[in-house]
Amino acid sequence: MRWLALIWKSLMRSKRRTLLIVGSLVLSVFTVAVLQSLLTTLDAVTNNPNSSNRLVVRHKSGLTQMLPRSYEAYLRQQPEVETVCAIQWFGGYYQDPRNFFANFASDETTLFQTFREEFGISGITEAQIKDYLRDGAGCIVGESLAKKNGWKVGDVVPLTGTIFPISPRLTIRLIFRSPKPSDENVLHFHYKVLEEGVPRMKGLVGSFWARTRRSEDIPRLIERVDRHFANSAYETLTETENAFNLSFVRMLGNIGAIIQGITAAVVVAIVIVTGNTMATAIRERATEIAVFRAMGFSAGRVLVLLLSEGVLLVGAGGLFGVMLAHLAAGGIRGSLGAAMPFFADFAILPHTVFACLAGALAIGMLATFIPAYAATRRPITDGLKAVG
Amino acid sequence: MTADRFDLGGGEPIITLRDVAKSYWRGAQEIPVLQGIDIEIPAGSYIALMGPSGSGKTTLLNLIAGIDRPTGGSLEVCGHELNGLDDDELASWRNAHVGFIFQNYNLVPVLNAFENVELPLLLTGAGRRERRERVGQALALVNLADQMWSYPRQLSGGQEQRVAIARAIVTDPDLLVADEPTGALDAKNAEEVLALMERLNTELGKTIVMVTHDPKAAHHARHQIHLEKGVFDRTVEVNR
Ligand SMILES: Nc1ncnc2c1ncn2[C@@H]1O[C@H](COP(=O)(O)OP(=O)(O)OP(=O)(O)O)[C@@H](O)[C@H]1O
Ligand SMILES: [Mg+2]
Repeated sequence: MRWLALIWKSLMRSKRRTLLIVGSLVLSVFTVAVLQSLLTTLDAVTNNPNSSNRLVVRHKSGLTQMLPRSYEAYLRQQPEVETVCAIQWFGGYYQDPRNFFANFASDETTLFQTFREEFGISGITEAQIKDYLRDGAGCIVGESLAKKNGWKVGDVVPLTGTIFPISPRLTIRLIFRSPKPSDENVLHFHYKVLEEGVPRMKGLVGSFWARTRRSEDIPRLIERVDRHFANSAYETLTETENAFNLSFVRMLGNIGAIIQGITAAVVVAIVIVTGNTMATAIRERATEIAVFRAMGFSAGRVLVLLLSEGVLLVGAGGLFGVMLAHLAAGGIRGSLGAAMPFFADFAILPHTVFACLAGALAIGMLATFIPAYAATRRPITDGLKAVG
Repeated sequence: MTADRFDLGGGEPIITLRDVAKSYWRGAQEIPVLQGIDIEIPAGSYIALMGPSGSGKTTLLNLIAGIDRPTGGSLEVCGHELNGLDDDELASWRNAHVGFIFQNYNLVPVLNAFENVELPLLLTGAGRRERRERVGQALALVNLADQMWSYPRQLSGGQEQRVAIARAIVTDPDLLVADEPTGALDAKNAEEVLALMERLNTELGKTIVMVTHDPKAAHHARHQIHLEKGVFDRTVEVNR
């Protein structure tokens, strides 16, 4: 307690320098926290434990090619398969083309079983599901999507097609909640709407999502399915849901390497800035340090005082940086989340907060310790001679 | 070097130097700065250390004050054999026994007069109340009780040096060391500081070793010791 005032006044010695160092720390911790959280978010997309026992079957030549719906029967026959859901990306919009969200035509009879976790199935009643099944022009939407557009159950949502030449008017029959925000930015409607409205889609679908009983079965199953349809008119590419998602993340380029590169650059920059500023600040106090020691402050005591100053500085910078990143996370969820569904899950997780604070403290300790230690090793008589 | 040449009067010695030497090395070349310094300084002395520039005055003062180590001989100051203390012990010894007065005052610019004077007390066990009391007394003694909350930049040079003197005496040390304490002051302020130091010696019984170039300043001391090229040249008793 008796040292606190001394440490605080020393920090306020040069307000400009203190501000500079805290400011640059805020900025770099903010940048690193946001970038690393981006990476965490992307990792979560491709390492989703819920999708570990699902696989996606699609046309070998790409997502725009269709598969016969009859393939579903074969998939269902496989002993490892629990349920199969045919899904087609519809790509429609509501009112404004910029108003993006994921919407699918899907097999309503197996949808809920295939994606139990995503639909938060325990929160939905049989009666609600029946409402949807009964209404061929019905649809289901996630709660956050419904909130954003002010939708309630019973509202009619006109969806304008972009890939397909139909614009169905869909009645909301169910609003569901998901454990993950990104899974709530979704609309599903009956597959028949697409099949009956678009003649060329008759008997065709873009993908099958199969849920297996055990994830260990997946590699065997993938191999068997693709072998079975090899050399047919519609060859398949089967992969785990995580691998499927990864192909979308890959479209962003090698984002992992870019993020790690920027992080490294920011860390190097902040080490240099902090190191230099601390070294200068302590060098300028050579005489003062010598006077303190002459008065009876031991080298260790002086070292602890200087380290406390450094730790307080970077601690404040780190804390503000993390707080700022936290605030920004909300903005990122709102803005990027609209363009890329998985950004709706963006958050600064505790392990990122911890790593950023620990990193900042380590840099601050090191940047202070080196010049402070050198200063306390110097003979007192040298320090007293220095002009200060 | 006979004893009577350095007879500084009777009394228990507070500083005893035996064959003290200090050398610096420039590469393999030894540069002797002090050689064969033998002296006993009785408690309550007021000594002016004089001599030409480079004669080793500051070096000797630093050895006595325990902020430098000799390369030969031994020093017993305020009852402690300094060679026998490690760096941390020496630091606490300084805190308890030595007050420093510098030519450039060396106050901490971001601390006000009160906080500057309080600094050495922070190392003692003194509680908040006791510290406040003692700082108040020390500042009253140097006649600056009214400037307690002023910062160094708001004080004149003479006032700054008086704050520095308050800081030097706040722990009630036996020994005060001063290296050119009036070197940066004009005649009037110098006179004030010297009068103050004289009072510390006569009224509080502090032993003072002061390095000075200024014969007028040296005249305030009771003895003058002249250094010449690292050895004692002569002592003069001042008739005040
Ligand atoms: N760190 C050092 N390294 C080498 N030589 C030194 C060192 N410190 C002092 N000296 C030398 O020791 C000698 C005595 O120095 P000292 O500072 O004691 O002189 P001084 O009598 O106080 O002089 P002044 O009146 O100019 O202050 C000088 O010749 C100086 O060059
Ligand atoms: Mg000198």
